Amino acid sequence: MPSLSLRYEGEWVNGYLLKDGTILTIGRSKSNDVVIENRGVSGHHAKIDSLDGRFLLTDLQSKNGTFVNDELITSCWLKHGDVITIAKHTLCFDVTASEASAAAPADLSERTLIMDTDDYQAMLAGSYSKGAAENIKKEMVGVLSFMTGGGGEFRLTKKLTNIGKGSFNDIVVKGFFVGKASASISQRPAGYYLSYVAGFSKPKVNGKAVKQSVKLEDFDIIELGSKKMQFMQKPVYKK
Amino acid sequence: MIVVESAGITDVGRRRTKNEDALFRDDDVRLYLVADGLGGHQAGEVASRLVIETIRGCMQEYHRGAHVDTFEGYDLALSDEANKLLSSIERANREVNQRSSQQGSYRRMGSTVSAAYYCNDALITANVGDSPIWLIHNGGIETLSVLHTAVAEQAALHPGEQTSLGPEFRHVLTRAIGIEATVKADIFEVPCFAGDILVMGSDGLSGKVSSEEILDLVSRARPEKACRLLVDLANERGGDDNITVIVARVTALRPGARSVMARVWKWFRKGS
Repeated sequence: MPSLSLRYEGEWVNGYLLKDGTILTIGRSKSNDVVIENRGVSGHHAKIDSLDGRFLLTDLQSKNGTFVNDELITSCWLKHGDVITIAKHTLCFDVTASEASAAAPADLSERTLIMDTDDYQAMLAGSYSKGAAENIKKEMVGVLSFMTGGGGEFRLTKKLTNIGKGSFNDIVVKGFFVGKASASISQRPAGYYLSYVAGFSKPKVNGKAVKQSVKLEDFDIIELGSKKMQFMQKPVYKK
Repeated sequence: MIVVESAGITDVGRRRTKNEDALFRDDDVRLYLVADGLGGHQAGEVASRLVIETIRGCMQEYHRGAHVDTFEGYDLALSDEANKLLSSIERANREVNQRSSQQGSYRRMGSTVSAAYYCNDALITANVGDSPIWLIHNGGIETLSVLHTAVAEQAALHPGEQTSLGPEFRHVLTRAIGIEATVKADIFEVPCFAGDILVMGSDGLSGKVSSEEILDLVSRARPEKACRLLVDLANERGGDDNITVIVARVTALRPGARSVMARVWKWFRKGS
């Protein structure tokens, strides 16, 4: 079983065993598994997750950072001999020789394990990174630009946007042949789709009538009743 | 009013001794659920069954008139009905999470869940984990679930690149019911059409049968026969995991409170 040796200025303080399947927390707060009461140590400074024989150290956005072999890390898989530095304390990660060879990844086909998405994102971003790397995930949102009646924009933030004559719709469109519930735009894994729901008048995309559903591409022109709109996907930056 | 005809099978497969999958379907409430449990000993079975029971119970309460306004996680991007499904899933997560702390053998038990609910001429789908949901419409098949697996998330972040994760990561999930205090499901709402076919399953099915094969088999046979064919095919190809499948066909979409004008025009058009 791997172990961590906690030292302060070279002097041995305490030892901890890393059990597979557990999470070991490190920080100043007494609720941690490894409590380090020292200036420069955050309440919840770092943690070590175990994933079938391998150990992942993650910095919990601490004020002063977590270092492995003197390099600032966000997240990093630990190997034998690694020295973790937190403020003025060090933690030495030891795996005995017999354990090291047995640490080959086991066949996981029988079980399904969970990885915390944040840990996983950090792992993908790179084991070592200078400074706190922020995960900026780029998402797209569909936007309809009105080409008639004074312009303006409508952001398709809902999963299902209803269009029609009735006042309950998200986009109200006038027109004698437009149904109360006329069309809808749904946001799906593959993108945005426009569907004809009801009413004598069918919506048109680039001049062609939509009989059931059609996938919307950037710059498609949608016409329904009195409204003419251009569809586009614009990026939304989220952290 | 949507009328649905469905069938569903869950099979232990060829290699496992117990079935940790669970399914539920109700053509009257028009709710369909698949859950694939994980965890040691009996935990998987307990988790998947608890997920089904909880969601079914919550949705039945809503069906009887309960309101969803007080739901804390109410998402404005979703309709009321979709929020009902979302709140049921979150409740299931709390139940499994709490139960897992009550007994040593239930520690870290969890489950995937895939849910489908028809209402107001729309189909609402929601999932956590890797149990797939497909929609067959107009001769094509579309995936209405998001894969919450390590490999899929990496592919989404680095599209087009080869995965750097070894084969041992094939079954690693990034989200599951019950593992943490809160969970985020992926939900979609799409309009529903007569003739549309919904197919839901556990990864024991998607791991062995491609979506093209599902489209082909399901389009040609009635739900019960289609389920049987799919399970047999997955078993023929190894049956390493439990296999669960639900096939639901929208047989009719009776016009509800449509406007009189629409009916007149419909009659008018029939002649042309």
